[in-house]
Amino acid sequence: MTDMTLPSSQTNTPLYRKRQRRNVLTMGMAYAATAFGLTWLVLILGVLLYEGFSGLSLAVFTEMTPPPGAAGGLLNPIMGSLVMTVIAVIIGTPLGMLAGTYMAEYGRYDKLSSVVRFINDILLSAPSIVIGLFVYEIMVAQMGHFSGWDGAVALAVLVVPVVVSTTEDMLTLVPDTLREAAASIGLPRSLMITKVAYRAARAGMVTGVLLAVARISGETAPLLFTALNNQFWSTNMNAPVSSLPVVIFQFALSPYKDWQKLAWTGALIITLAVLTLSIMARALASQRK
Amino acid sequence: MADVALQSGVTSVTEQVDRARVLQRLRLSDAAFRHLTRSAAILVLIILGGIIVSLVHGSWPALRTFGFSFLYTEVWNPVTEQFGAISPIYGTVVTSVIAMLIAVPVGLFIALFLTELCPMWLRRPIGIAIELLAGIPSIIYGIWGLFVFAPFLQQYVQPFLISVFGNLPGLSTLFAGPPYGIGVLTAGLILAIMVLPFITSISRDVFEAVPPVLKEAAYGLGCTTWEVARYVVLPFTRVGVIGGVMLGLGRALGETMAVTFVIGNAHRISGSILAPGTTISATIANEFTEAVGDLYTSSLIALGLILFVITFIVLAFARLMLMRLNARLGK
Amino acid sequence: MNSVASFTVPTVSHTQKSSDGLAEKVSVRTLDFFYGDNRALKNVNVSLFKGHVTAFIGPSGCGKSTLLRILNRMYDLYPNQRATGEVLLDGENILQPGQDINLLRAKVGMVFQKPTPFPMTIYENIAFGIRLYEKLPKSELDGRVQHALQRAALWNEVKDKLGANGLSLSGGQQQRLCIARTVAVRPEVILFDEPCSALDPISTAKIEELIDELKEDYTIAIVTHNMQQAARVSDFTAFMYLGELIEYGETTKIFTTPNDRRTQDYITGRFG
Repeated sequence: MTDMTLPSSQTNTPLYRKRQRRNVLTMGMAYAATAFGLTWLVLILGVLLYEGFSGLSLAVFTEMTPPPGAAGGLLNPIMGSLVMTVIAVIIGTPLGMLAGTYMAEYGRYDKLSSVVRFINDILLSAPSIVIGLFVYEIMVAQMGHFSGWDGAVALAVLVVPVVVSTTEDMLTLVPDTLREAAASIGLPRSLMITKVAYRAARAGMVTGVLLAVARISGETAPLLFTALNNQFWSTNMNAPVSSLPVVIFQFALSPYKDWQKLAWTGALIITLAVLTLSIMARALASQRK
Repeated sequence: MADVALQSGVTSVTEQVDRARVLQRLRLSDAAFRHLTRSAAILVLIILGGIIVSLVHGSWPALRTFGFSFLYTEVWNPVTEQFGAISPIYGTVVTSVIAMLIAVPVGLFIALFLTELCPMWLRRPIGIAIELLAGIPSIIYGIWGLFVFAPFLQQYVQPFLISVFGNLPGLSTLFAGPPYGIGVLTAGLILAIMVLPFITSISRDVFEAVPPVLKEAAYGLGCTTWEVARYVVLPFTRVGVIGGVMLGLGRALGETMAVTFVIGNAHRISGSILAPGTTISATIANEFTEAVGDLYTSSLIALGLILFVITFIVLAFARLMLMRLNARLGK
Repeated sequence: MNSVASFTVPTVSHTQKSSDGLAEKVSVRTLDFFYGDNRALKNVNVSLFKGHVTAFIGPSGCGKSTLLRILNRMYDLYPNQRATGEVLLDGENILQPGQDINLLRAKVGMVFQKPTPFPMTIYENIAFGIRLYEKLPKSELDGRVQHALQRAALWNEVKDKLGANGLSLSGGQQQRLCIARTVAVRPEVILFDEPCSALDPISTAKIEELIDELKEDYTIAIVTHNMQQAARVSDFTAFMYLGELIEYGETTKIFTTPNDRRTQDYITGRFG
């Protein structure tokens, strides 16, 4: 303790005691704030686990969403979410990787990169419901109907900024000496990037894609008026497609107990999926070091 | 080796020519790749441009019909096709303000705990827990808010608030009953829980960036932990903290699902924060698919445009602040 | 070693083949180099000869690494850096705009200060560069990989683990892997940029031995801050100071009877 070494004449002054009291008070608040924050995590996850697991059964994964009052499962929204997520990743990942590659490799110091970086950071936190409106305007309104493709495109627009920024960050971490080594045997820039830099940054870039998937798998707002919803089994991406978050939204706000139960179970499934993805991403990122 | 002669350092003339030809061919694909990446980078700008153009285009009928009065009219009547944005704007702002009033101090204190007080072995687990909280999809907060938090507030907290503040002049309108459970306050509280992890993790990162010598110098003078935080860490990181807070605010303003469940979707401005209200995003989420008529749809898109403009400004400001901090740290 | 007339700047011979049998491979003439507005090299003139090792010494910041990185135009990777003057490789100016830089780098290989194996297997580290230029059957490719590793005196240590990651090797082994990788592309000139500064004494000795063997077939330039190393491995030595080439000549001459005061001060350890 520092105050032990001080002469008592200094430690007994009113000012010193006031400072100590204030310190104890504020530090107490720091402990309390942390407890407060963690309490929410426990409360939310606790209720979610309790409600979600009590409704979990095989039927959830094998049966369609039921009409009110009947039993059923979440097969069609689960499949819809999976398909749209996969398509969104297939569209969004290459675009994001290429853009991030430009910023880290070709234009690290140029004007275009700094503008794109700024805009991308804003898109990263832009309200997802606005992305939904955007895709509604450019696709749904043009074609005159809602469809799974529209939903996938909306999700892809959300994937792009995540992948852009992780790709750029990870490529920036690749040491320049490795680039020089690749150049020194006559490798053209594109091969230096695709064969050497990508390989060196691979774990980080996969992390970025996992984070992007985690981000979109819980997204509801951009799907509400793009993919809409579908009570039935549908593999037709040109028609409305059901998705887990939209079904949760609809069922939770309904007055039917069965639907509310399914909404909790769906919420649990999404949360477990998202947490698994984030933990995988984290493990992968720390493994790099 | 059989071909030792071939392996010597001097390459033959034909090999030189071959190499040149290979590289010539690669040069094309090299340029193609470069242009591909550049186009992708430009695409990011096009997405932003597309968002703006499409929102302006979509909201044009409403903006033409109502003009500037759209911004300050409270009426929202699909039957008479009269639309005004002020109540969702008000709701958006008020819920976000409530959220920030709670989340900013709490988040800063948690960040302070994580960087100055927490034992080393506990830092990582708590840090991870906070970040997991940030990763939970907002719809989970929404469903939890609807089924657990709102009933709890209705039963215990709101009656208490009404009885305590109901008779105090000034506060009596703010906490006027009855306790609905859902409403502006509930939405603000849910938003606070949602943005808390964002603010915490950014503040923690920013606090950790303070050069240790600065803190050590202050501790060496006999400063208490609080004094170091208040007079060294905070001033040094101020722009970064503001940036982080703005980033959290951007999230709160645009958040849809967590709010839609618990706001009540009422198009009116009430003096009481216990009353139901609506936000821009909740209005769009609730009404868009059911909107009949071009003017109705267009008015909702116009709301989206307003939301985008507000969040764009907030987020741009946040980025500028964080860039200034990085510049100070010499990154 | 050949007996060579001592050189003094600026009377370096620019002929392709001088009277005493030296073949000039690289000729640097009136070379200036700029980082932005900062002039890092001032009117440098120097030659590299086939089958010989030329060492560049001088205190840090003197421009010796900068000079080396011009010879394969490595500086092109970065913005705001430019060179003026002439660098002739077999009489052809590599600084001119039409130069195919990748072809140049295939001819002028480089080994770096820190070992830089690619994040792939030992075999792939070598085969990668070969495959770039030639489509070879597997057996021939294997032979080329083996040969490159033998030339780098690494074959016996790695022949049983060619599938292991290049990064799993020790620092000295990694550096020899990088030399093998450079050799595999069949360069004509090899540039060594302080190749031993990150290595232990035993690995350093191995690399020096290797340089001595390689000079039979290649034109070699080495930048080093270690004067003993320059004395051990090189035939010619250039002393640089503050962006200028102060003195250039036969290594024994530079280390015994330098013409310039500054050279003498440096090699006797009075600064740097």
